[in-house]
Amino acid sequence: MLTKSDIISTVRMLQEENLDVRTVTMGINLVECAGRDMKSTAALVYKKIKLKAGNLVRICDELSAQYGLPVVNKRLAVSPASLLLEGHSRVDALTLAKAMDKAAADVKVDLIGGFTALVQKGMTPGEKILIESLPEVLSQTHRVCSSVNVATTKAGMNVDAIRLMGKTILRIAQATKNKKGFGAAKLVVFANIPEDNPFMAGAFLGAGEPECVINVGVSGPGVVKRSIDRLIKQNPNCSLDEIAEEAKHTAFRVTRTGELIGRDVAERLGVQFGVVDLSLAPTPRVGDSIGEIYIAMGIKKLGAPGTTAAVALLNDAVKKGGAFASSSVGGMSGAFIPVMEDHALAKAVADGTLTLEKLEAMTAVCSVGLDMILLPGNTTAETICGIIMDEAAIGMINRKTTGVRVIPVPGKKVGDRVDFGGLFGSGTVTNVNCPNGSAEFVNRGGHIPAPIQSLGN
Amino acid sequence: MDRKSSNRYVVSVLVADRVGILKDITSAVTDMGANIDGISQTVASGYFTVILTATFKKSVSTEVIHGQIMQNFSRDEAEIVVRPYQEDAVKRVPVQGNRYAVTVTGKDRAGILKMVTAFLAGKEINIEDWYVEFQGRNVTHIGVISVPRVLDIKQTQEEFRQLLVPLGLTSYIQHENIFRATNEIGPIESLLDEKR
Repeated sequence: MLTKSDIISTVRMLQEENLDVRTVTMGINLVECAGRDMKSTAALVYKKIKLKAGNLVRICDELSAQYGLPVVNKRLAVSPASLLLEGHSRVDALTLAKAMDKAAADVKVDLIGGFTALVQKGMTPGEKILIESLPEVLSQTHRVCSSVNVATTKAGMNVDAIRLMGKTILRIAQATKNKKGFGAAKLVVFANIPEDNPFMAGAFLGAGEPECVINVGVSGPGVVKRSIDRLIKQNPNCSLDEIAEEAKHTAFRVTRTGELIGRDVAERLGVQFGVVDLSLAPTPRVGDSIGEIYIAMGIKKLGAPGTTAAVALLNDAVKKGGAFASSSVGGMSGAFIPVMEDHALAKAVADGTLTLEKLEAMTAVCSVGLDMILLPGNTTAETICGIIMDEAAIGMINRKTTGVRVIPVPGKKVGDRVDFGGLFGSGTVTNVNCPNGSAEFVNRGGHIPAPIQSLGN
Repeated sequence: MDRKSSNRYVVSVLVADRVGILKDITSAVTDMGANIDGISQTVASGYFTVILTATFKKSVSTEVIHGQIMQNFSRDEAEIVVRPYQEDAVKRVPVQGNRYAVTVTGKDRAGILKMVTAFLAGKEINIEDWYVEFQGRNVTHIGVISVPRVLDIKQTQEEFRQLLVPLGLTSYIQHENIFRATNEIGPIESLLDEKR
């Protein structure tokens, strides 16, 4: 039986604290569409996406109304497009991407992920074609997102692939310079990429996933922040373990809303439910920020000593609450720190308290990596490679997912402001220390061996 | 005890709240050899009210039950109503449907409940529970309602919202599962099973 306080507390989460389902992402296997003729392959891809996802948005909207819970984004994640590009050309890659883009537009989703290549141990011709086509693909499509996995704990790190990615990111930024390099915001370079991640730009349908599946991403940084605010108001001297407990309880409640929506959507569409990914993903709105949570905890200047510990506390509490809430937890499940998408993080970068190096330290204990960071337009490919290698090393050694989504903004220098608008937010171009200090190391190329799994200190 | 027997009664008591009221009522009924088989009580603005059903072993008049309960209260302290239970009472509930929570918040004024309940009744929506909370001049109405399956919930929500916007009131009608999901610990699948 519902009680008055049950109803009031949930309504408060929904109406005052920005609780929403950040994304319902349908995974679709496209491997059966592969063929020698890209025109027919693209037609099959379009047809299959329309068939599987034609009702996705309508059903999400119906359930959103029924529960009074906003479903902010409806998205698609397909099997790695590189699997459809073996034996094809860069022109074919663009044809495929355009078919994906049109299908996504016609089923009314805002983004489609899966223009993906997994190259941690080596690269096939199709994967190389995919990466090389990214400047055209990300500049000539609107909804297509891309991800490239360059390292895993089991396979080690493919530095040759990273070198290609460094150059490619610069080319993408140049190809979209009329949009301030925005194309690079639709590409993530991963280590230990998850196969069931519903969040963009890194969502794709992994090899071990079903034919068609619904994965859900829930967020709710505003809910966590307000719960910590209330705790501190009641007990200004509360300890960090009390804050962790509060965050865990809140994460539990948030995760369950995601599973409710996800299972209901999957059932109505007649497809399998996959996972709920509780990742505290901010938006540029005030009151929907991860940085505000750390400030509420007592880190008054983000980037100050203690910030990494605050991230660790929150990330762990979120995982524990999520794991208890549902046996179908997957994806990233932790705290994101996408700088441009979080007004408090963006301000700290602009103020100079939060540096690239501190962000890197934070990524060692949060759920993803260096995300939505603006770099000067004259950043070299080798410097970008060095950033990717550092981040991939953190993921590879610590058996966790890490990613890099950096945007070298053509013509911009450190301190310049850039605004992408909407959920992608705005920010300040960040300084990279010693920008020319690692070229010799990066250019050696090759492969960093997989790390030892014993002697774990 | 056979709940369909003709010895079943419904009892309602209204009294200014104090400690021990429910004890006074239930002990009077039980001491007459009855089994209490349904009960709901609440307190509103300092007034206690309870409604219960009880099945007696032997035939007994409503006056005797009334008098027995009244013995535990001082003169004029309580209003007590006793009636024979009508077997078709449950069947008279007009609809079976999905359970939703309705919330209405804003500045208090006369007529809100009349308007809201008229809207719900007009749509054959049954009210199962209703609470009101005041905070200064603001009021929050919270109801648990049963919405017929044939009703278009999106349209109903929109009509309800538009009805109350001119009064400066914010309103929502939301399926109960969103509240159960966030407040219970059972598997989500079981909530969806119940919804089917």
